[in-house]
Amino acid sequence: MAEAFKPVILRHINEPGSHTLDHYLARGGYETARSLVGTADPASLIKIVTDSGLRGRGGAGFPTGKKWSFLAKGTGKPIYLAVNADESEPGTFKDRHILEKDPHQLLEGVILTCWAIQSRHAFIYLRGEFILGYERMGAALAEAKAKGFIGKNIFGKGFDLKVVVMRGAGAYICGEETGMLSSIEGGRGYPKIKPPFPAVSGLFQCPTIVNNVETIAAVTHIYKHGAAWHKQWGTEKSPGFKLFCLSGAVKNPGVYEVPLGMPMKEFIEVYGGGLVEGRSLKAVIPGGLSAPLLTPEMVEKCTLDYESLAALGSMLGSGGITVLHDGVDLMSAVTNTMRFYHHESCGQCTPCREGTGWLEKLAHKFHAGHAHAGDVDLVGEVAQNMRGRTICVLADAAAMPMQSYLEHFRGEFEKRVHEPAYVERQRTARDEITPEAKRETVAHGAPNVTDVGMGTDRV
Amino acid sequence: MKTLSPERLRRFHDMVDDYPNKRSMLMMTLRLVEEEFGCIDDAGMEIAAELCGVAPSHVQGMVTFYTHFKRPDHGRHRFMVCATLMCALDGNTDQALKQIKDKLGLSPGEKTKDGLFSCEKVECLADCDRPPVVQKDFEHFCAMKGKVLDEYIDGLLKKEGKTPEAYRAVPGAPMDLRVSVLPSHYNFVGDASRTTAVPPPLHTPLSAPVADGVNMNGAKHG
Ligand SMILES: Cc1cc2nc3c(=O)[nH]c(=O)nc-3n(C[C@H](O)[C@H](O)[C@H](O)COP(=O)(O)O)c2cc1C
Ligand code: SF4
Ligand code: FES
Repeated sequence: MAEAFKPVILRHINEPGSHTLDHYLARGGYETARSLVGTADPASLIKIVTDSGLRGRGGAGFPTGKKWSFLAKGTGKPIYLAVNADESEPGTFKDRHILEKDPHQLLEGVILTCWAIQSRHAFIYLRGEFILGYERMGAALAEAKAKGFIGKNIFGKGFDLKVVVMRGAGAYICGEETGMLSSIEGGRGYPKIKPPFPAVSGLFQCPTIVNNVETIAAVTHIYKHGAAWHKQWGTEKSPGFKLFCLSGAVKNPGVYEVPLGMPMKEFIEVYGGGLVEGRSLKAVIPGGLSAPLLTPEMVEKCTLDYESLAALGSMLGSGGITVLHDGVDLMSAVTNTMRFYHHESCGQCTPCREGTGWLEKLAHKFHAGHAHAGDVDLVGEVAQNMRGRTICVLADAAAMPMQSYLEHFRGEFEKRVHEPAYVERQRTARDEITPEAKRETVAHGAPNVTDVGMGTDRV
Repeated sequence: MKTLSPERLRRFHDMVDDYPNKRSMLMMTLRLVEEEFGCIDDAGMEIAAELCGVAPSHVQGMVTFYTHFKRPDHGRHRFMVCATLMCALDGNTDQALKQIKDKLGLSPGEKTKDGLFSCEKVECLADCDRPPVVQKDFEHFCAMKGKVLDEYIDGLLKKEGKTPEAYRAVPGAPMDLRVSVLPSHYNFVGDASRTTAVPPPLHTPLSAPVADGVNMNGAKHG
């Protein structure tokens, strides 16, 4: 029987000084790395991660041990580890806490991972906007180097390891693994066609493993406690625990670490404190902005694991859960969402560059009440034509939420076709000009709508 | 000619060992340039190109691709307001933008005429549980609205020796963050004569003089 779950990765983040080396050493830090590096057999270390069932926490949920075992062997080239700390999926803010409040936990994971995959050079790529995170990671790296945990002959075990902390500069696409590699190589963050996968030919055309910050942090604990320990939580196919970022209309938004497989409803009620007063649930975005929407009925059935969300036609993604209340105007939300993808498309592939722009414009048309009847189907057609035709999956990530809005809330689109009165009522509802005007809108039964900044203006 | 200070050059050379080649040092080198000069202008791009052994045009491609680098056309105080869905819900983004508009007269994409302040919308800043999220240059704020935001702007105004009246009702000027290497007569934004403007001769000096006579396109001055 599983022991009661206590946060693992987040356990210490609220303690004062949790980001310092002293604090980390006081709780047994770097002991696992000290005992395994240079002594344990790398192949058996990869097997432990495979046995633990750990899956990538960056979005795709690919089994980590399997990814490591795909590394091209005997190429004579160096092997790189690239830690993805770009955290740019909207609704996701978990890696930030690890970088800012427990950077040594990540560094120990990096050391262990590098030994397991026999890499002597790791990059930690932070998004440019992580200012405190960059400072803290840099300071932690300096501390670890000074102690001889990173650098030449680490722990006196004859293994050399270089770790580099670097910064991006505000591009969502640098979260996509090959886009990030392009950026590390000193170029624009253009994703590259796969195959070859990074494990075969990645950074500087050498075998490269890309993993999310949370994945690497979890590795530290798996090596400390073992694969069986990790498997005692979660489900058969999604073992372990995960950080979830809760935002939107809940009483207590924030980051929470829970075992996988928890019912979403319970998560929102117990951890999020339920919906804000006086609101009911309209929809949930379960795994970052790219994840297809869930309706309240689907939320009832949903558990927080990769399989349950896939069965509901969505995905667990990065673990960013956003709760939309009944007052959210979905046409505003979808316009905002499409603006994001249009702004962030890197522009290499026509279906994505053009398609995201089309979706943004169409969404804007619906939002403004200028859409024609045929536009409802056009939205679906454009979205469908963006899928599976591009270098990276940003195009899919834009098309999938749009398709889910259309599938579950088609009525909202149809309502906006040529219905100037509906749009006018909403405008009045949100302008709150005079009490009279307000009374009037109430009399007209205007919905109490929240408009989100839907501007198509590019920034 | 502009150069990096010895201290920052030292930091550049300290990094050399960390990267397999000089090109891969570009992202971090641009940060050094940004830190040194407060923003990345044409001369700064040339410095980075020189240090990393890449064509200046490649550096320009980088700087215009990545939106977080600070450019000469940004205000000295650059406000970045997160406009992505989680912040925009319940009008949080709008609220922050409105307060900035009320205090500084700026809409997103604009700067004050004296170049002191600018405002833009940006995408998710990875702190979505406490909206609205705002960054001012390299400072990060969450739940940045109401009294906190007002007082913060007031503090900045005071530090700059300005009164709110100087900006409050004065419309801002549009920022142009893309055009970088062309002389200012090429700055088409808001220019009604854009279709009829006569292009200046190619050897017109760049906005920032470059001593070695090489412009961003790699061509020698005539
Ligand atoms: C458009 C796009 C954006 C992404 N953004 C991120 C990100 O910000 N952070 C991240 O860790 N993974 C991101 N990913 C997923 C990565 O491509 C990659 O799958 C992940 O970093 C692998 O690490 P993992 O196996 O540990 O999850 C993104 C993917 C796409 C297609
Ligand atoms: S799908 Fe979009 S973001 Fe990805 S490579 Fe193609 S154009 Fe760039
Ligand atoms: S949406 Fe604003 S910080 Fe994420």
